[in-house]
Amino acid sequence: MALATSTAKRSRGENLVLRYVILGAWALFCLAPVLWFLSIGFRPRTEIITPEPIYIPTFSLDAWHMIWEDWPMAKYLRNSVLAIFGSVVIDLVLGIPAAYSLARYRYKGRDDIGFYILSTRMMAPAIVAIPIFFLFRNLGLLDTIWALMLIYAAINLSIVTWIIRSYMIEIPKELEDAARTDGASDLRILWEIIIPAVLPGIITAAVIAMIFAINEFLFTLLIASTPDAYTLSVALANFTGGSDGLIYNAIALVAFLAFVPVFLVVVLIQKHLSRGLTMGAVKG
Amino acid sequence: MTYPSLLNAGAAIAAPVKLRKKRSKRMQALFPYLLVAPAVLYLLMITLYPGVYAIYQSFFRVTFTAWRPVGFENYADLFNDREFWAALWNTFVIGSIALALQCTLALTLAFHAYRDPWIKGWRIVFLVPMLFMPSAVAFMFKLSFLDARVFSDILQTIGLIEGNLNITSSTWGSRALLIVADVWQWTPFLFIIFVAALQGQDEEVEEAARLDGASWLQIFWNVSLPMIRPVVVVALVLRGIDITTMFANVFIITKGGPGGATETISFFIYRLGFKTFNFGYASAASVIMLIITIIVAQLVVKRAFQSSRD
Repeated sequence: MALATSTAKRSRGENLVLRYVILGAWALFCLAPVLWFLSIGFRPRTEIITPEPIYIPTFSLDAWHMIWEDWPMAKYLRNSVLAIFGSVVIDLVLGIPAAYSLARYRYKGRDDIGFYILSTRMMAPAIVAIPIFFLFRNLGLLDTIWALMLIYAAINLSIVTWIIRSYMIEIPKELEDAARTDGASDLRILWEIIIPAVLPGIITAAVIAMIFAINEFLFTLLIASTPDAYTLSVALANFTGGSDGLIYNAIALVAFLAFVPVFLVVVLIQKHLSRGLTMGAVKG
Repeated sequence: MTYPSLLNAGAAIAAPVKLRKKRSKRMQALFPYLLVAPAVLYLLMITLYPGVYAIYQSFFRVTFTAWRPVGFENYADLFNDREFWAALWNTFVIGSIALALQCTLALTLAFHAYRDPWIKGWRIVFLVPMLFMPSAVAFMFKLSFLDARVFSDILQTIGLIEGNLNITSSTWGSRALLIVADVWQWTPFLFIIFVAALQGQDEEVEEAARLDGASWLQIFWNVSLPMIRPVVVVALVLRGIDITTMFANVFIITKGGPGGATETISFFIYRLGFKTFNFGYASAASVIMLIITIIVAQLVVKRAFQSSRD
């Protein structure tokens, strides 16, 4: 059997050398800039912008000390964590019932409602940026993490709803029917049967929403005007020292501080990633 | 005395039960709407409200002190504004080249990787660029291509060019930089999806084609690709939408330059609204974008997602 598969593979005629050259080249293209940028985070400022680029720098923790001592890094982190965590909670509270409704009931207008929710994903932030800016200004929420929380939740609600919906569709109807004949209410069925059954989908949705919230740039730029509401994404643009220009080693270090947790959770949900990224259209 | 009161007590018990049944039937019909309503209301707040607001504001000249009605003047100005048309054109050119490159690269990579024994390893490595914040990637490219001249230095070392490369002074150099940054970060998005789709297809169909003597390229082109086509379409639609909203890279790397050659529509609206504070004018541009978005959503997105369903 093993022999049969190996001959089958060979007879496919695919050139293995070519395969590994292509994949290897792309891996290099992916990783080389990342490794070089990592080295920026751990070198002194004098070795960043030089007449000739320096590829093997002196090791230095300057940037590490700088971000904590000269900049309100703790505040940036707190803002990011609170705004993102709050937005994901809002998304789950609104998105899970919506997904349940779209996945498990038949009613008039259901597909239009579903498409409306999906279509909000297509809205360019710039289109709504100005009205949203005025809305938050009138509410007195400019430069607060509350505004960020609300806007991140709005950006991700369509994704969260559609991902969870795609998982709910797959639950066998019998599971619910059995509970219903036992007299359980719809809400109890949702809570005690459906939610535990789609937990992987809920986690996937939460992770994807988290990534998009961390990445968000335009709205954060407009809403946050002082370190009181800066998140990591926008704080990067503020590591400048007047005439010194951009402080790249601090920027690089913060970029990696945000990267590490994202990388870890994504590796954990790897299997569900393609499904999450397509809002449930691909059953990975 | 006791008898009727007992009867009454019975009626009093029966009535709420009947009422509850009736109410529960109406509730049953309303229930799915109630479940979905909070999400819809929340989304209306960030789509309908801003949409109406932008339409209203687009008929005014807005300053910090007053709103002066100007009728269709903003729209008339917009249609005569070369910068607006340039922004649309730049968005289209940069977006379509980046999308075409990403799609070709991701298909090539997915095709070579999806049956590879080390696919899990490749996937994690290829994912790395996607997991950085876009603003971080923008700074990384700004530093390596412009400020620290690493790219220029590498080209000099291998003898491709002499002297320093001046990327941002040329139209296509700046556009190419934005395209490369987008390709670097987002090709993995398509790759991950394509690999999952290729792995999910029925292996026996490929096997049958192989037994018929088809070459691996023929199989991919004529068998595998048509099978995963709906998924490819959905992935490209999602990626295409995100490319047209490109902002962080423009804001950080090129600032729209040189001479507006890399000003995307998002950056155009941002600049008008928040740099020159011409809110009414910027809103008119938003409204036109909104109309384009709705048309595209109705024509392309709806179809793409329907064909991928079930």
